[in-house]
Amino acid sequence: MKILVVDDFSTMRRIVRNLLVELGFSNPLIQEADDGDNALALLRASAFDMVVTDWNMPNMTGIELLRAIRAEPKWKGLPVLMVTAENNREQIIAAAQAGVNGYIVKPFTAITLREKLEKIFERLAASGASA
Amino acid sequence: MSATLPDVTENLPAEVIALLNSEDGAAFEQALDSMVRQREQHLFRALGLLARDLHGAMRRLGGELTFEGVPDSMADARKHLVEVLDMSAKAAHRSLDFADRMRPEAAALSLNAAEVLDFTNSKTDPAAILAHQALAFAEKCSEGLDDMVMAQSWQDLSGQRIKKVVGFIESVETSLLELVRLTGSLASGDKPVTAAKVSSQDDADRLLSEFGF
Repeated sequence: MKILVVDDFSTMRRIVRNLLVELGFSNPLIQEADDGDNALALLRASAFDMVVTDWNMPNMTGIELLRAIRAEPKWKGLPVLMVTAENNREQIIAAAQAGVNGYIVKPFTAITLREKLEKIFERLAASGASA
Repeated sequence: MSATLPDVTENLPAEVIALLNSEDGAAFEQALDSMVRQREQHLFRALGLLARDLHGAMRRLGGELTFEGVPDSMADARKHLVEVLDMSAKAAHRSLDFADRMRPEAAALSLNAAEVLDFTNSKTDPAAILAHQALAFAEKCSEGLDDMVMAQSWQDLSGQRIKKVVGFIESVETSLLELVRLTGSLASGDKPVTAAKVSSQDDADRLLSEFGF
């Protein structure tokens, strides 16, 4: 599974990558971007199976990236997991309305990440089966 | 009719009373303009001095910090905060390097201990006792490394706050200089100069002195 990790802090990209590898995802299939703009460029260049993105980033924020992804018909079903320090009600609602698949508040453990990912894939499988 | 109205003129300055009694319309307008203008200039000058004082206070604060060998201006303060950001990122990466190095060590110890236990698992055999202890230790190490890695994500959270403070300092400096520029141009009666970007402390001081603050 090809995953794009988007965060302006290299520390956080590395931590998310390590956690994903720990959960069994292939390290070489994980790519990184440091803001929404660069993430979009990578998404356009090749197909990804999932995006894990931060909210607060320069140039293009995570919520803007999410909206840009949902605006593109071919990325309609692309799972997007938001990993962010922003845990206020308005922002969670904004992310939900923009079509986010999961929302994790930092800092978090591998167990939390696994639970959220499992939930995302369960829901996707269910919607895929009913479609 | 006028007899029924209270005499409002008695508390007014003499020049206003003179104005009110004047029959020359143009002179009246001109005198009124000049009075309003004078009052405005006092206000703008006071605002300008206030901004100058505020800017000076901020510089002095920076100057006091200079004893520690650090910032003597807001631009420097921003630079130092960015350095803090870089240093904390480097420290976090070093901790992550350490976790990456130690994880396979813990896994290898665990594997070796399991091999020993395949060979001997007697409760009285010192080798088996040690192998059990090694297994438990390896497990505790892995858990500890996971906790340590998670703790490094605070670098990202603290870093985001530092970035916000850097942005705040920048906006305060810009607003302050804008205030000085505006009050200076209004007080001197010139048209406001175009909003040039002020980047250094010298630029700021030059601008402040241009307006006499």
